[in-house]
Amino acid sequence: MTLATATQPEEARDKAGVSHSGSRRSGPDTAFHLLVAASALLVLVVLGGLVVLMGVGGSQAFRTFGLGFAFHDVWNPVADQYGAWAPLFGTIVSTLIGVAIALPLAFGTAFWLTAMAPPRIAAIVGTAVQLLAAVPSIIFGMWGFFTIVPFMARTVQPFLTHHFRHVPGIRFIIHGAPFGTGLMTAGLVLAVMIAPFMTAVMRDVFAAMPAMLRESAYGLGATRWDVMWKVVVPWSRTGMIGAIVLGMGRALGETMAVTFVIGNVTAVGWSLFAPRSTVASLIALQFPESPAGSLRLSALLALGFILMLLSFASLALARMLRGDTK
Amino acid sequence: MTETDPQVAKSPEVALAVRNLNFYYGENHALHDISIDFPARRVTAMIGPSGCGKSTLLRVFNRMYDLYPGQRATGEVIFDGRNVLERDLDLNILRARVGMVFQKPTPFPMSIYDNIAFGVRLHEKLNKADMDARVQDVLTRVALWNEVRDRLNAPASGLSGGQQQRLCIARSIATRPEVLLLDEPTSALDPISTARIEELLDELKEEFTIAIVTHNMQQAARCADQVAFFYMGRLIEVDSADRMFTNPKQQQTQDYITGRFG
Repeated sequence: MTLATATQPEEARDKAGVSHSGSRRSGPDTAFHLLVAASALLVLVVLGGLVVLMGVGGSQAFRTFGLGFAFHDVWNPVADQYGAWAPLFGTIVSTLIGVAIALPLAFGTAFWLTAMAPPRIAAIVGTAVQLLAAVPSIIFGMWGFFTIVPFMARTVQPFLTHHFRHVPGIRFIIHGAPFGTGLMTAGLVLAVMIAPFMTAVMRDVFAAMPAMLRESAYGLGATRWDVMWKVVVPWSRTGMIGAIVLGMGRALGETMAVTFVIGNVTAVGWSLFAPRSTVASLIALQFPESPAGSLRLSALLALGFILMLLSFASLALARMLRGDTK
Repeated sequence: MTETDPQVAKSPEVALAVRNLNFYYGENHALHDISIDFPARRVTAMIGPSGCGKSTLLRVFNRMYDLYPGQRATGEVIFDGRNVLERDLDLNILRARVGMVFQKPTPFPMSIYDNIAFGVRLHEKLNKADMDARVQDVLTRVALWNEVRDRLNAPASGLSGGQQQRLCIARSIATRPEVLLLDEPTSALDPISTARIEELLDELKEEFTIAIVTHNMQQAARCADQVAFFYMGRLIEVDSADRMFTNPKQQQTQDYITGRFG
C-alpha cells in the first residue's frame, strides 16, 4: 500500500509533463521506497516467524498436555512428563524480585544524578551506570556465582533461618537448605543487571522535567522528600512505567546470569531460597540434550512460546497503565 | 491607604535590605556589590537586558540557588532582622515567607485544590473546613474562584495559561508569605492575561512586598513603585518609577529605557 501511494504522484507528474524531474528521481526514489518498506516489513516477517516457529514447534507439547501445559508443575524428562509451571513461576517471581529491588535503586540514582549531585560527580557516576549497563550478562552470572551465592549461603540464609524460622508468615519464604541459589539470589543479580537500564530511562525522564516545576515546589518550602514524592513521581509516572517495563523485559528473558545462580531444579514452591529454574535457564540447559522431534524439544519450544507471550503481555500492560496520559 | 499618609510614603519600612551582595556561578562573578532596599508593600521592578543579573538577584532572596552546587552569594540580605544568606537559616521556613512565581506557569501534576493545599500542608495543620476556606480565599483574591469553583478536583493542567499563572500566584500567597518574587510572570501570557495579572499586583501589594523581574518597560512603568536598572551584574540606578522613566540620572538607564540597546 505504501508503495502504491508512493508511485502514484510520480505517474501523475510524468503525465503532466514534468518528466525531467520525474524520470531522474523515479529510479533511485523507487529503490529507496522499496528498501525502506522492505526493512519495515522484515520486522513483521521476523516477528511472525518467531511466533510460528515457537507455536508450531511447541504444538506437540500443547497437543499432548493440553492448555494445562502452562500450569502443570511436573517437568520430568525420564517419564516424558512436561509442564511449564515450575520454570514459569521461577521466571515471574525472580523478575518481580529483580524489578522490586531495582526500582528504588534506579529511582534514587536517577533522582540524585539529576537533582542533587555536583555536576562533576554526576558525570562520573552517570558514566559508571552506562558501563554497568554494558557489562555482558555472563559476567554478572559469574559474579553472582562467586559472590552472591556464597554470601546468601553463608550469611543471609543462616541469619534468616535463625531469626525467622518460627515466624509463621515468613517461614515458608525462607525455608530450604543453605545452598545460596534460588529465586532471591537470581532476583538480586537481575536487579543489579536491570537497574542501570532503568536508571538511564528515569534519568532522561527526570531531566525532561522543567527545572521551574521542581523549583516551584522548593519555592513553597517543600523538602526534597516532598518534592520527590508529590511532584516528581506523579509527573514522571509514564516514564517510570516505561523504565519498569524495560527492566521487566530484560529480566524475563535473562538466561546466562540466572542459570548460574538459580540452582536449576524444576520444582515449585514459595521458598525464595531453594534451587529453582526459569523458562530461559531451563531451555538453555536442556535444549542441547533434546533430540529433534522429541516431546521434550517440543515442550521447550512451547516454553519459549509462553515466554514470548509473557513479554508481550508486560508490554501490553504498560500501554494500558499509561493509556490515560497518551 | 499608605498613599494618603505622606510620612509613610516618604520613608516606608524596608522589607528586604540588600547590602554588598556578590553572587557567583562557580567562577563567574554574576552580581557585583549590589545594595538596594525593597520597601514593604510596594512593587519593585527590576529591569535590564538578559543576563544582567536581575533574575539571579531574585533567586538569592529565597536561596533558590542553594539547589545548585557551585552557586554562592556573599554579603547581606536582611529580611525580618536576619541575614537570609546565613548558612544555618531554615530554608523551608524562609521559602514559606518568600514566595516565588516563575516565567511559565508551573502547575503541579495534581488537582487545582491540591495545588493550593500542597504548600499550606507543608507548614500548617489545617482541618478540612479551614483548608477549604484558605483555598477559596486565595483563589478569590487572584480572581480565579468563579472560574474554577465547580472543578476544584480537576487537574490543574486543564486550565488556560493565564489561569494557571494566577493559580501559581494563589499557591504562593496561600502560605501567607511577606514577600512575593515574580520572575517575568507574564512573559508566556497573552495581553489580556497579562493585564489581569498586572491588576492583581495592584491589589496584592497592599499586603505583600513584591519584587518583579520584567523585560517589559511598560509593565514596569504601570505596576512598579520603584524601579531598579541592572546592567552586566551591577545595579546602575534605582529610583521611583516616575523619575526613572521620565528623568533617569544615568546615561545607560536612559539608553536602555528608550530602547537604544538590550
